[in-house]
Amino acid sequence: MTRRLVLFLAALVAISPIFGVWLAELLGYHEPLDIAVELINEAAGYTLLRDLSEEWRWSPFADYKVPGLPDWVGYIVSGFIGLMTFFILHVIIKRLYVKRAS
Amino acid sequence: MHIPDGYLDPLTAFMTWVVAIGYTYYAYKYSELRTKPELILSLAAAVFVAQMLNWPLPGGTSLHFVGGALVAILTGPFNAYFIMLMVLLVQTLIFQDGGITTLGANAIAMGIVAPWAGYAAYKVLKTRIGIAGAASVGGWISVVTSGTAVGILIGLSTWFPYSLGISVPIMAIWHSILGVGEGVITGLAVLYISRKAPHYIAT
Repeated sequence: MTRRLVLFLAALVAISPIFGVWLAELLGYHEPLDIAVELINEAAGYTLLRDLSEEWRWSPFADYKVPGLPDWVGYIVSGFIGLMTFFILHVIIKRLYVKRAS
Repeated sequence: MHIPDGYLDPLTAFMTWVVAIGYTYYAYKYSELRTKPELILSLAAAVFVAQMLNWPLPGGTSLHFVGGALVAILTGPFNAYFIMLMVLLVQTLIFQDGGITTLGANAIAMGIVAPWAGYAAYKVLKTRIGIAGAASVGGWISVVTSGTAVGILIGLSTWFPYSLGISVPIMAIWHSILGVGEGVITGLAVLYISRKAPHYIAT
């Protein structure tokens, strides 16, 4: 990853709560699929499809939140955790192929 | 568009995993994951960040960039699969955005259907209406087809006791509206890249 790209993505992560948290709260955001499923459930007349993610929590960073931090800070931290993960993956894959090649 | 746990029955979820694993093996042979890991991971990071930028719309839904068509136009559909797969893995495993049992289904919808549909539309239309127009149509079609694929998978699940006639139209109509945003962003991005760095666009 080039330095320029990393800086650009970091800047986008820094402003991401404007879209992912503030505007989402202001306008009452729901995932498009959730809305479609609501329509499906309404058409059926009862709850046919239920999102189990609230009951199956395997990550402390679910929904791009970090425990103990305000949502907007958690969203930024989550963005950086994601970016860091891709960077680590990049290093691992690169080393793997360098090792194989040698 | 990420299907959470609970929307697909175990058999349907298992079958989607089988298809996704089989396609991963097949796509790996034709991808450039070995030779261009930097490009693929850079694009994966960019798509991940782009998907965090939701544009909420009055009424309670949002427009956000999916990216399947754009990365397919830039790198080809096999590389695009690995880009989208890496994004999905990070979103699912770390942020619980999408389910574990439905990861195969999400990989099919966003990693196979969206890139192939967007790429095919772009290839067919680029000489007729220009690259920006073709990329816009490709972006729109990628969202409509992947939304429809999600509708088909939900409709096939035995936990959904109605026909595909209910799930597919709802998903297709809804995503044909949301896909307009994807089309505009994909068209503008491809136009910009074609002027600034045309070597990044797959032939």
